[in-house]
Amino acid sequence: MSVLLAKAESGFTPPSAADFEFQPIFGHSIYFTKPVFMVFLSVIVISVFFITSARKAAIVPSRMQFAGESVYGFVRKTIGEEVIGPEFMRFMPFLFSIFTFVLVNNLFGIFPLLQFPTMSRIGFPISITICTYLVYHFVSVKHKGLLPYLKEICFMPGIPKPVYLILTPVEIATYFITRPLTLAMRLFANMFAGHLLLLIFTLGGEYLLHSGLIFKFMSIFSFGFAIGLTFFEFGIQCLQAYIFTLLSALYIAGALSDEH
Amino acid sequence: MTGTLAIVGFGLSTIGPGTATGLIFAAYINGVARQPEARSILQPIAFLGFALAEALALFGLVLAFVL
Amino acid sequence: MATKDEGAFWSIIGYLLSGFLIWGGIGWLADHFLGTHILFLVGMLMGTVASLFLIWIRFVKE
Repeated sequence: MSVLLAKAESGFTPPSAADFEFQPIFGHSIYFTKPVFMVFLSVIVISVFFITSARKAAIVPSRMQFAGESVYGFVRKTIGEEVIGPEFMRFMPFLFSIFTFVLVNNLFGIFPLLQFPTMSRIGFPISITICTYLVYHFVSVKHKGLLPYLKEICFMPGIPKPVYLILTPVEIATYFITRPLTLAMRLFANMFAGHLLLLIFTLGGEYLLHSGLIFKFMSIFSFGFAIGLTFFEFGIQCLQAYIFTLLSALYIAGALSDEH
Repeated sequence: MTGTLAIVGFGLSTIGPGTATGLIFAAYINGVARQPEARSILQPIAFLGFALAEALALFGLVLAFVL
Repeated sequence: MATKDEGAFWSIIGYLLSGFLIWGGIGWLADHFLGTHILFLVGMLMGTVASLFLIWIRFVKE
């Protein structure tokens, strides 16, 4: 079904998935590329920021302490307390780590000089999703026991028996395949598409700048759009970090709830 | 530039569900804003409408991959 | 309350997707091995029905 849609104009190469692959910084190992170092950098940034903001804790908070506490308070109030309920304190370290890690790694996408969202490589969202996946299944099994948990997934009450034949596979697939799949894919796809969008406008603007006189004028619009979309991307990146944490919290809350 | 026409078709097919979802939530928010106690009645209807509209979008997605 | 709503939207999409994947996948496999062409669409429709029914039970009935 693959067809040739249009022949590209000679000269301009549109950005593609190849722009997301990096050469190793030193040596030939695939473990030493830019995204890997950015993950380490994000861990250092997060640790340094929150340790310095919490070290000199005072009743009248300094500016640093206020910033750190407001991030923590946001995760605690809107995600932890409201979604999980009375037992939320046990999961706060997990939720808070996920939120800050995803947020900082997303924000690298619009940070000057770095300019690459780490989460647009599928491996990183997958590994965070595996953590969430293990946590909520472990909590379910611990809270309800293995067999009641499986029974709850497979046979929901209040349905005539033959309908189970149709519904049970869908329910099992939802819990074990679709949930982690959509969790990882949503974050990855948003970051990938966002970075591609910025690349298109920036590279297009640069190409227009090197062509004829009228096109030089047009490149202003292209760069303007790139700048506008950078602010738009900032919103998307914060929102994706929030949604990822929110859904993790919701799955944990579902594991802790007794009914349905 | 190469690609599949199926992707263009999927792009076109998302216009309808996108509009539908927007209209559903516009009506839902309007209703709840005018009469906050109607929320418990309106919410299941909004969810069902959202599910029906979204089903068409995902149908398009799956068909774009398979066909 | 608003955060719970948001979660419901995403889980609705999840249910729909898994209905399509499972029943559409079964239909596609049946097509592949039996050499027919209609079973994939039948499976897709069945997945739609199954996931809409599940959503109806989970979010609408109460």
